[in-house]
Amino acid sequence: MAQHQAPVGIVANPASGRDVRRLVARASAFPVSEKCHMITRLLAALAATGVTRVLAMPDRGGITERLRRAIATQGPHDGWPQVEFVEMPIEDGPADTLRAVELMVAAGVAAIVVLGGDGTHRLAASACGETPIMALSTGTNNVFPEIREATIAGIATGLVATGRVDATRASRRNKVLRVEVDGQQTDLAVVDAAISNHRWIGSKALWHPELLSQLFVTFAESDALGLSSIAGLLCPVSRRAAHGLRIDLLPPERAAVTLKAPIAPGLMASVGIAGVCEIRPSEPQSIHSGSGVIALDGEREIEFRPQQRVAIRLGLDGPLTIDTEEVMTQAARDGLLVSRHA
Amino acid sequence: MQLSRADLLKAYRTMKMIREFEERLHIEFAAGEVPGFVHLYAGEEAVATGVCMHLDDRDKITSTHRGHGHCLAKGCDVDGMMAEIFGKTNGLCAGKGGSMHIADLSKGMLGANGIVGGGPPLACGAALAAKKLGTGGVAVSFVGDGGANQGTTLESLNLAAIWSLPCIFVIENNGYAESTSCKYAGACHDFADRASGFNMPGVTVDGHDFFAVHEVTGEAVRRARMGNGPTLIECKVNRYYGHFEGDAQTYRARDEVKTIRETRDCIANFEKKATSSGMLAASELQETSREVLAQIDDAVAKAKAAARPGAADLLTHVYVSY
Amino acid sequence: MSRQISLQQAVNEALAQEMERDKTVIVMGEDVAGGSGTQGEMDAWGGPLGITKGLWSKFGDRVMDTPISESAFVGAAVGAAVSGLRPVVELMFVDFMGVCFDQILNQAAKFRYMFGGKAVTPLVVRTMYGAGLRAAAQHSQCLYPMFTHVPGLKCVVPSTPYDAKGLLIQAIRDNDPVIFFEHKLLYSIRGEVPEEPYTIPFGEANFVREGSDATIVALGRMVHLASDAAQALAQEGIDCEVIDLRTTSPLDEDSVLESVEKTGRLVVVDEASPRCNIATDIAALAGQKAFASLKAPMAMVTAPHTPVPFSDVLEDQYIPDAKRVAAAVRDTMRYKA
Repeated sequence: MAQHQAPVGIVANPASGRDVRRLVARASAFPVSEKCHMITRLLAALAATGVTRVLAMPDRGGITERLRRAIATQGPHDGWPQVEFVEMPIEDGPADTLRAVELMVAAGVAAIVVLGGDGTHRLAASACGETPIMALSTGTNNVFPEIREATIAGIATGLVATGRVDATRASRRNKVLRVEVDGQQTDLAVVDAAISNHRWIGSKALWHPELLSQLFVTFAESDALGLSSIAGLLCPVSRRAAHGLRIDLLPPERAAVTLKAPIAPGLMASVGIAGVCEIRPSEPQSIHSGSGVIALDGEREIEFRPQQRVAIRLGLDGPLTIDTEEVMTQAARDGLLVSRHA
Repeated sequence: MQLSRADLLKAYRTMKMIREFEERLHIEFAAGEVPGFVHLYAGEEAVATGVCMHLDDRDKITSTHRGHGHCLAKGCDVDGMMAEIFGKTNGLCAGKGGSMHIADLSKGMLGANGIVGGGPPLACGAALAAKKLGTGGVAVSFVGDGGANQGTTLESLNLAAIWSLPCIFVIENNGYAESTSCKYAGACHDFADRASGFNMPGVTVDGHDFFAVHEVTGEAVRRARMGNGPTLIECKVNRYYGHFEGDAQTYRARDEVKTIRETRDCIANFEKKATSSGMLAASELQETSREVLAQIDDAVAKAKAAARPGAADLLTHVYVSY
Repeated sequence: MSRQISLQQAVNEALAQEMERDKTVIVMGEDVAGGSGTQGEMDAWGGPLGITKGLWSKFGDRVMDTPISESAFVGAAVGAAVSGLRPVVELMFVDFMGVCFDQILNQAAKFRYMFGGKAVTPLVVRTMYGAGLRAAAQHSQCLYPMFTHVPGLKCVVPSTPYDAKGLLIQAIRDNDPVIFFEHKLLYSIRGEVPEEPYTIPFGEANFVREGSDATIVALGRMVHLASDAAQALAQEGIDCEVIDLRTTSPLDEDSVLESVEKTGRLVVVDEASPRCNIATDIAALAGQKAFASLKAPMAMVTAPHTPVPFSDVLEDQYIPDAKRVAAAVRDTMRYKA
């Protein structure tokens, strides 16, 4: 039976957790060695649930290299699944995540475990189609992925991949924000899209709230960190609600209402609020700034110029993510990890 | 914080000057006109430029054997550098240093350095002097991925941290220490990861992207000037030529450099962004390029025509007084 | 009239007076204050032998304890020297040059020449050298020949408290990198030292004793053995001239040659191991430039070509003594062509 079983994909971004927020905020570092440890914990848990094959994203950032060593030394003793690295060119950039997810989907994986920050999950979301994602945080200010022990994530993913839990209840649908430039969809965000008066993408992170003019969120939790905290502290929106939010922002010295928000780890910023309104899938949101930068999930990604028409649209048809709590609840209720011996 | 048009033009001129300086030396070396060992910085221009845009003459830098870019970005005179590389008396070091030892202390350029890992301790000292003398200056130590594995670098990271020195360690990771991969030679994969062990921020930045380097180092310099201590910045970058001129580079993949030049070139990317943003006109860039090329031509012609040292020069400049 | 202090006190006084005079003078090194970061008292040590004790109390953070990272802090002293300070950095034992020599050899020593005469590197490296404390092979060497070999460095090897103070003040005011060698066994010797600051120029040897039969050239602790030997030989009617080189770079060639031309006999005493040391250097000088004056082969009294041993029996045998110096002079006197 195991021969026919669909493999599980693992995408780990070697670059996450090392950007300028270590300097301008108080973000912690996330070394490659720890990402690799997480993967080995995942493999142990996947093995325990009966997963026999794993497809992993290759990289030149140190994860593959370490993982190969771990597989050679620990794998045989611990009965890990067979790990194959996807054959693909490596560009040492975001394109690698996109390509790996596409190839894994094409190979028919049952689920993809993504280790990274909001940015990595944003990329995975744009390529995963209907394949569910196990979203694990290794990045900086993460809202979309959970800060979850990899072992538990591995058990939950394994139970989904081996078909032992109710698939419809085991995963949940997420919202997205799609960015359209001159009528063409160019990119998407899974948590937030912000319009900033920066002129350049630069080092990507945003830590100057006075430059922000608009913020769009798919959901906003009041205990979140990052730009979505601005929405979360004004008007929380759940992951499942059929709407998102738009916040119009002003430099704090010009605003009648200001908010103190944790926009990055250890960085409390004062932001000026001009207005808050709900957004719905049917209503594309036009951007009125002449030129600037669009930040997706906290990272500057798109530079736009005055002659370009930019719009943002909420979608309710984003990626599926595995609901760990729900899966583990089912596992306990149905005794999925229990064996009885005569 | 936002780059002005003048800033952008200055950055472009610096990057272009470094590129054309190196491209020209590549040709002159092959023609047998340049003596000794020459290590070219082409491909890494965005790093030196992005960092040094934040510095002035009270700030000091230490450099590496691949130092031409750092010198130019820190304001060393083009004619003086070229003459030095050609070994002439009017060179910045009177023909006694050469490519690997160009320095101009009046500009805060404490020397290219032939010893891999030679610079970081010196930068600590420069930062200590700035702190003790209250100049408000900072020190930047440019280090390669090879130098990052030297004990001097690790000791200096520690010293800078315990004394909270206004010192910035810029690791230019171009992937190769001579002909050996940094992945083979370094136990950690990202040198930025080492920073946490020394209790300082460690940041990785795309060294092909002037805007990213400029932004990150701006924050590090600000932090240092405010008295908040050192920062480690790892710039992932590529060099277009070999370790030294004459290196056949058989250790590199076929088309590796060609692909990088075509897709990630820092100057081409800068040109695209600066013009598409409407900040600079293509004609301004072309004009700057023409000026730079003319300046290089002029510097080379002058260097070739300049006087060589005389026999008496051998014995001068050993001591201030002896 | 005279005030007698130890060489240790003379060094401390020179440092204190120069720090008082010039705010850019800083002192740094391992435990130069001692106690940094501890719950106990600050300025606990003043170096392992207490040489810099009390400076921290007078000058506060201009006296800096360093981590045990010779490359970093010696290098930092070099960097600070080209950036406006006058650091006096302590390399606790000269044997530790092994973990920081690049910063002295390839950085400090080279800057002035390599940068076309534009660099000024006013650095002093104070360091302890020499055998006699049963400190064995890694804490007892006489390595000034290795530094003397390097163009761009100045090397000072004082023998008395008077010289130590005057030469150290000169070193601090000098604009070139100076390596200042202090012999462990000389710290406690006492001598007349003026209270006010004074300098002794580099490259001027000291005629410790005038004589006409033979020249004994020595440096550092060996000067005292040479004097003892000369005194003993005087009883036998042999009149020795004793020259203390004081600095090995610059070297006072004229004084050596003048003396050899007068006496026609040369014995050089050097605690360093025998190949390429100061003794060979002085002998080569005399051979080249005073050959015609020589009445006998030159003699060298040095340590043997071995590491410094630990056992007191062996170490006592290792270190040159006055008897060997006297014997060498007698051999020279007896020589018949």
